Parts: sequence; structure tokens; C-alpha cells
Amino acid sequence: MIRIEGVSKTFSGPGGPVEALRPVDLTILSGSFTSIIGPSGCGKSTLLRIVAGLETASTGRIANEGEQGRPGFVFQEPVLLPWLTARENVRFPLDTSGVPRAEGDRRTDELLAMIGLSSFAQALPRTLSGGMRQRVAIARALSYDPALLLMDEPFGALDLLTRDRLNDELMAIWTATRKTIVLVTHSVEEAAYLSDTVVVMSARPGAIKRIHTVDLERPRGERTKLDPRFHQLMADLRRDLA
Amino acid sequence: MTSATQALARGFSSLVVLAGAVAVWWGAVILFRIPAFLLPTPDAVFARFVFMAREGQLERHATATLSELGLGFAAGAVAGLLVGWAFDRLPLLGRLFSPLILLLQTAPKIAIAPLLLLWLGLGLGPKVVLIALVSFFPVLTGTVSGLAAVEPGYRDLARLLDLSAAIRFRRVELPFALPSIFAGLRIATTQAVTAAVVGELIGATFGLGYLLSVGQENNDAALVLAAILMLSTLGWAMHEIVRAVETRVLAWR
Ligand SMILES: Nc1ncnc2c1ncn2[C@@H]1O[C@H](COP(=O)(O)OP(=O)(O)OP(=O)(O)O)[C@@H](O)[C@H]1O
Ligand SMILES: [Mg+2]
Repeated sequence: MIRIEGVSKTFSGPGGPVEALRPVDLTILSGSFTSIIGPSGCGKSTLLRIVAGLETASTGRIANEGEQGRPGFVFQEPVLLPWLTARENVRFPLDTSGVPRAEGDRRTDELLAMIGLSSFAQALPRTLSGGMRQRVAIARALSYDPALLLMDEPFGALDLLTRDRLNDELMAIWTATRKTIVLVTHSVEEAAYLSDTVVVMSARPGAIKRIHTVDLERPRGERTKLDPRFHQLMADLRRDLA
Repeated sequence: MTSATQALARGFSSLVVLAGAVAVWWGAVILFRIPAFLLPTPDAVFARFVFMAREGQLERHATATLSELGLGFAAGAVAGLLVGWAFDRLPLLGRLFSPLILLLQTAPKIAIAPLLLLWLGLGLGPKVVLIALVSFFPVLTGTVSGLAAVEPGYRDLARLLDLSAAIRFRRVELPFALPSIFAGLRIATTQAVTAAVVGELIGATFGLGYLLSVGQENNDAALVLAAILMLSTLGWAMHEIVRAVETRVLAWR
């Protein structure tokens, strides 16, 4: 469980301080899938980066109970090392933290198989499609088996078809591993389809506007997308965003 | 086309251009009746070159220049790399010293050659220092701009993975900065050869630059041209070595 208590952020910009985030209180249950949506610039990335330890909060604290260790983080851009193959990119966190070779090999092959890129193991990132690159980035984030996976608009740059496919893959990964996942997205459909909880944030400076609990049963799939409750939820989320 | 035939074609075309230049030179000497002490014919220069090579003179002087170049270039490049890294690691240091660096960079470093000779004598020392100095700046600039261009996402990744400063530099920042560092190295090779010549012209008892000054004093244009030929070959070889290493190291591009 992760408890975000009164976390706010004010950046010191060149034109004076910029209030990016008003104090936020949020509890994220272990093993749950939480999405955060909100208008552009409302501080979603900032909040996620604070949880990841990439940014320090101006006030408040993050109480981490059970999700210790380095979190996995998937950025909007894949941020792959262009001189390493897909395989080497996936095992980069293992190589740089002294995981034994055999163990690293095993983990890497497992992950490559899971994301369906075994036959592209030796490919350099520039020869992969956008979707494949993001898959590699996800595998890299999972390589050290983090309890917490943070994703900042990981599929924002992908076409809808690829995005749908990756959503299902992500859901499968979550079902298999039961990691605590926090996903920032601009897509109400993505949020509604994947999440247990959808957090809607209000425009800048960001604060939490509403928290929706999603009661659509699992496993979810094509049937879910036909469910009237799914459409009702999307409508509610759109209304909250407007 | 394979890369081998491409390289062959490139080699052939440069050969044609070279042959053309020699032909123009030869033609001009005959056409305008230029006296040999001003501009000898290519065959005379070549004969002189072969003669000196047989005598072992060329080897002795070229070796001297080459060792100055090797030592100075290596020292300058390593120093440029280290200082560039330090500037990136400690931004305060960079802010403090970059005005001074800029000033030194724009100053004609060749101009301090007499001072170096005064301090360090006529041996290898002052030339090595001068070469190191002129090699240092382009490599420093290349390193600093290369490291500054590392996208913030990669710094986030390094932070997330808790990479130590050394691992971060070796496995993330340095590879990103390499193209820019190599650009600096290539500039440095050209400047290094110039610095070697200037150092030897001003005061030396050996080296290809020394041969230039001997040629000038004795109205011996063939000697001057033979030395120039050797110097260009050295400069070209250095440049090619840097490029070969670059192609290998940056094969992933
Ligand atoms: N390093 C920074 N320095 C100054 N201001 C920043 C910094 N990072 C973010 N901000 C500001 O904080 C606010 C929130 O930014 P943030 O990136 O968290 O928004 P976001 O909700 O992720 O937006 P988007 O949906 O467009 O990604 C913005 O106004 C932004 O300009
Ligand atoms: Mg964002």
C-alpha cells in the first residue's frame, strides 16, 4: 500500500514559483490497478515522478508500505539505449546491479517471450516499431521484478490498434504478476478498461477532483467494451474532465 | 554496392583528383618556366623524398614529429575528456571556468609557442605541450556539448536504476556523447599537426618542421615540399585512424 499524504509541488521557474500540484491525498492499495487522468499540465507526471523518487515533494510525504525497492517506471518515450539490442536493453538494469549472468539471461528470455519479442532479441531499437520499443521498455521496467510499476502515458504515442493490443498485454501482465500499477493516461477508455480505481485530477494547479471505483468484473475483454456500465463510466469520466 | 567496392570507388576517384593536381603542377612549372629553387617539378620532389627516405633522414625526423604528435594528442584528448566530464558533474566548476576556457580557446595558442620554448628548451617537451594544448580545447568542447545533449529521460532512467556515477558515465552518458567527442577529436588532429610544425619551425634540431626551416634557409624548395608531403601524410593518417575508430565504436548508428 502506498499512502500519498498532503503531497504538493511548487517548481521554482525563471518567472517565479510555479505551483504544479496542490496537496494531494491518495491511497493506492497493493496489487491494485490505478489510473490517473486529468487535463494537460495538471501535474500527473509530477505526482508520478514524486512517487518514483525522481522529484522531491515540496510538502507532504509518501508512506510506502509493501512496495519497497526501486519501482518500475515506463516513460512516454521508450528511453532505450540506442546502441544496445532489445535484449541488452531489457537486461540493462540487471547488468548494472550485479545480478548473476545466468539469472539475468533467464529473466530476460522470459520477459522477451512474454512481450512477444523473442525473435527480435538482437534487434537495435531504431529497427523496431514504436509499439515494439514500448514493449521493450515495459520488459525493462519489469526486469528487476518491482512491486510497483509506474507508467506515464506509455501508449500515448502509439496508434489505436497497437494501443488496444498493448492494453490487453498490460492487463495480462498485471493479472499474472499482481503488481501494483499506477498508469497516467489521457484516454478515458484506457483508464476505464484497465483500472480498479480511476483518479480524476482538476486543471492546473492540479488537485484530485474525483475518485471512481470501477466495478466491472474481471477478466475484462471485448465483452467489457460492450457493457453499458463501461460506457456510463467513460461518460462520467469525460464529464469530470470537462 | 558493397562497402568494399564503395571504398574502392572512393579511393579511385581521390587518386584521379590527386593525379590531376600533380599534372597541373607539372604543367605550370614547364609552361611558366618556374625556376627549380622556387618550385621544382613533382618528379624532382619525389626523387628528393626517396633519397631522404633511403638515407634514413626522413625516418628520423618523421619519427620525432610523430612521437610529439602521439604524446601531445593523447595527453590533450584525455585531459579534455576528463575536464569535460568534471564540468558536467560539477556545474559550478563549469560556470566558474567556462569564461576562462572561452578566452583561452579564442586566443591563438600557437602564439605561446615561443614562451614554451623559452621555458622548456628545444627538445620534445615544448612541442608536446603545445600539441596537447591545441588538442585539449576541441575535445573539451566536444565532451561538454555531447554530455549536455544527453536527453533528460536518460538521466531519469539512471536515477531510477540507482546507477553509480561511474556506471552512469560509462554506460549511458559517454556513449551518447561519443559522436560529439569524435567530432572534437577530428578537429584536434588537424590542429595538432599545425602545432607540431609551428613548434619545430620556431626552435628545433629535428622534426619535419625543422626540415621546413632548413629548406627555407637553403633555398631548397624540393626539401620543403618533401617535408610538406610527409606532414600531410601524417595528418591524413591521424585523421583516418580517428575516423576508423569512430566507425567501429559508433557502428550502432
Ligand atoms: N522541472 C520543471 N520546472 C518547472 N515547471 C515544471 C517542471 N516540470 C513540470 N513543471 C510544470 O508543472 C506543471 C505540471 O506539469 P506535469 O508535467 O506534471 O503535467 P501533466 O499533467 O503530466 O501534463 P501532460 O498531460 O501534458 O503530460 C506544468 O505547468 C509544468 O509546466
Ligand atoms: Mg505528463
